[in-house]
Amino acid sequence: MIQHRETFLENVAKQLGRPGRTSGVKRPVYQKSPQHNVMKDHSKDELLAILKDQCLAIHTDFKQTTHDGIEKAIDEVLEEYKASSVITWNDPRFDAYGLSDFQKRENVDVWDAGKESRSIELAERADVGITFSDYTLAESGTVVLLSNKGKGRAVSLLPTYYIAIIPKSTLVPRMTQATDAIHKMVEAEGARLPSCINFITGPSNSADIELNLVVGVHGPIRACYIVVEDR
Amino acid sequence: MKVSLFVTCLADVFYPGVGKDTVEVLERLGCEVDFPEKQTCCGQPAFNSGYHIDTIKVAKHMITTFEHADYVVTPSGSCAAMLKEYPELLKEERDWEKRAEQLANKTFEFTQFLVHVLKIEKVDAELNANATYHTSCHMTRLLRETEAPLKLLNGVKGLNLEELPNREACCGFGGTFAVKMSSISEQMVNEKVMHIEDTKAEVLIGADCGCLMNIGGRLERSGKQVKVMHIAQVLNSQESLTKG
Amino acid sequence: MPMKIGDPSFDTRVEKGLKDTFMRQAVTSAQERLKLAKGKAEEELGNWEEWRSLSEEIRAHTLENIDYYLHQLSENVSKNGGHVFFAQTAEDANAYIKEVAQKKNAKKVIKSKSMVTEEISMNEALESVGCEVIESDLGEYILQIDDHDPPSHIVAPALHKNKEQIRDTFIEKKGYTKSSNPQELTLFARELLRKEFLEADIGVTGCNFAVAESGSISLVTNEGNARLATTLPKTQITVMGMERVVPTWEELDILVSMLCRSAVGQKLTSYVTGLTGAREEGDVDGPEEFHLVIVDNGRSKILGTEFQAALHCIRCAACINVCPVYRHVGGHSYGSIYPGPIGAVLTPLLEGYDDHKELPYASTLCAACTDACPVKIPLHEMLVKHRRNIAEEKRTTLSETFAMKGFGLVASSPALFNMSTRTAPFMLSPFTKDGSIKNGPGPMKGWTDIRDFPESKKERFRDWYKHRESKKGGGSK
Repeated sequence: MIQHRETFLENVAKQLGRPGRTSGVKRPVYQKSPQHNVMKDHSKDELLAILKDQCLAIHTDFKQTTHDGIEKAIDEVLEEYKASSVITWNDPRFDAYGLSDFQKRENVDVWDAGKESRSIELAERADVGITFSDYTLAESGTVVLLSNKGKGRAVSLLPTYYIAIIPKSTLVPRMTQATDAIHKMVEAEGARLPSCINFITGPSNSADIELNLVVGVHGPIRACYIVVEDR
Repeated sequence: MKVSLFVTCLADVFYPGVGKDTVEVLERLGCEVDFPEKQTCCGQPAFNSGYHIDTIKVAKHMITTFEHADYVVTPSGSCAAMLKEYPELLKEERDWEKRAEQLANKTFEFTQFLVHVLKIEKVDAELNANATYHTSCHMTRLLRETEAPLKLLNGVKGLNLEELPNREACCGFGGTFAVKMSSISEQMVNEKVMHIEDTKAEVLIGADCGCLMNIGGRLERSGKQVKVMHIAQVLNSQESLTKG
Repeated sequence: MPMKIGDPSFDTRVEKGLKDTFMRQAVTSAQERLKLAKGKAEEELGNWEEWRSLSEEIRAHTLENIDYYLHQLSENVSKNGGHVFFAQTAEDANAYIKEVAQKKNAKKVIKSKSMVTEEISMNEALESVGCEVIESDLGEYILQIDDHDPPSHIVAPALHKNKEQIRDTFIEKKGYTKSSNPQELTLFARELLRKEFLEADIGVTGCNFAVAESGSISLVTNEGNARLATTLPKTQITVMGMERVVPTWEELDILVSMLCRSAVGQKLTSYVTGLTGAREEGDVDGPEEFHLVIVDNGRSKILGTEFQAALHCIRCAACINVCPVYRHVGGHSYGSIYPGPIGAVLTPLLEGYDDHKELPYASTLCAACTDACPVKIPLHEMLVKHRRNIAEEKRTTLSETFAMKGFGLVASSPALFNMSTRTAPFMLSPFTKDGSIKNGPGPMKGWTDIRDFPESKKERFRDWYKHRESKKGGGSK
């Protein structure tokens, strides 16, 4: 439902001193487009090196592993964080990356569509939430997560720690490539965007007390990125 | 080269030495300096206070006064910037706007003129002193001139320049602001004085009489021994500073 | 909290600010750190000016066509099952928000940081219908439990408080028992607020940018509170100033990049969240109902005027972080939830000059704000435009008007100019403070209270020049 739109927009047009516009506006071809030149022509390895550096700036642990070493890498992080309970997305990539056994462990829960209260509760109690990254932005050290029924928003938010598994193929230079892809999804006819798209850059933090950086406020207090070589 | 001097009202009345030094440096560099006697003030006090109708009267007078000039040179970044504001001020009056543009295009702040027009970066000057330079706001952010004064000062024999901490910060002058909001201005100029003292400089150099009047007035009131000099005075200096 | 804050008198507020030594130290060090961080972020990008130009172009295009983009935005929100309410005034917005709260029988509302909800006094409105409203941004939370102390900065609202003051507030109001260590204080607030999130019926957010092409709203935070507010409660209400719209995700990229770098020097903040409608069929979390409230509240009056670019503001506070006046007087002195240069421009536009006519004068016109602005709003020029309006509406003191008219007369007449400069240091005569001569000692007091004034020289420059020319045998024109 849309309320009071007409009078509101009529007034706006009147203030602008012209007839109202509800169609026919084209975005200009902007004179500059510096965003496309950032890390242009960088290889995946170069992007990876930048991501690794950026992890230092955003207080995020970084690991790199092969396809076969991924479960071991997760275990190492769990041990380091002294974490036991885990919640993961219900995402076919866990299977594709050989993590279906991991998901069957007793201390590991999988986000379950349809049983709402239980999944949120599990996420709230879990020590660690694990998701895959859909796009990974080297410049800022950001993982981009597109939600759906198996990919709950809470998994990367409510647990104390957060692990993002980053397939190396998801690496792009910066936010531009991700927003371009999202823009194309919008343009594709009839498509609705995922209800929640998160750009996550490290653990949550705040500087509201005397501008001192405190890591871990409402979201995870520690985060780790595990980059996996694609098969 | 023929140059018309806009001395500015502050220099005319309170710092005539700045005007004399400006003339002498320009002449030494081979310029013929003319002083159109009808000149008054750039109009900035009224402009910044919002009295634009009154500023327009002043602007028109100044445009007429300098119409004949090849170049207008002024020892003030702030007043030069004000002259360059005239076209915008007169945009409703096409003819005047055009004349204002002509004036704006031929107007240069003193050090700007030396470095960019005369292409001179070293004048024959000597000042044996530790000094620091105040980059005034209107010079750097309105005129966009940051290099010319420093290039010239680096060429002065015997002069040791210390960088002023927080040099881009305003000194708290702001024309009417210094009087209207004097308690805030006081804190701003205090901070500037503190930074000047941090440099241990004996001389504070600037290119705007307004800032220098403010900082200098505060230095004097607080009994500080720092001497205040306009950059034209430094560039016309031939002696070592006598230390007290 | 209404837009107006603190003592009604500007002078009283400033005096209080200048005396608050802790606040001034906190602001000074915050400015230093934020300026440094922004400078580094600019350098890393390499071609900052190109980014600024692009950002300016995006904002200008969007505002020129704002009816088109708001129309598109509302269509798309509605298509995705959301509700859109266009609110002409603060009262309209609050009435709608209260109505939603009552329909949902809401008891507890959790809020993430939002300037526009402060501006319209939404909390008070919701409290009037029996809702408990809890701020979840750490800074806002601190202020809220400290008996609603007003924010002093649009990005770091509790900037004026030190950790000991915060500890004491936590002890007194929430039974805190630990130290003033920021980490401990923060963890304490995390525990308290996590419970509130789980119990809240409604999550209220602001909106950094709304994307017209997809009907999405975006939230930029570091703490993650906006994510919680849009993940747990069943109902989400997002309140946006009408100018916060961008055409597509491509523009969102640019403006979010500029916002993060300019506000805190980060390439991106910890969380940038794009939300489209309510949860989808089959989603487990996220709100079941989504309401977008688009607020005018005086903004449309700015459209089509010489102040239109003020609506380009992306609320990064870069101008505040470089302002030397803000540095000394602090945020509360501005008497508005929007402080600093952008506040001095925006507050009189939204609320009129009556209560805010001093604000445009609280600047030396040093232009540091204009240089810092990532979307190139000519802030210091707008302050002059305000002064012009104030002067032309004859709201200035009679003595100032008289002096400035006199100045105009004198400075456009060589004869009068010559005469007055010969007789007196005329420059300062126009500047009177608080207007009336019978209450104040002369116009020069403001100057001479704190500094010496140079004496006017007997021989003016023009006398010297004339003398020299006559000796040379030449003459000037």
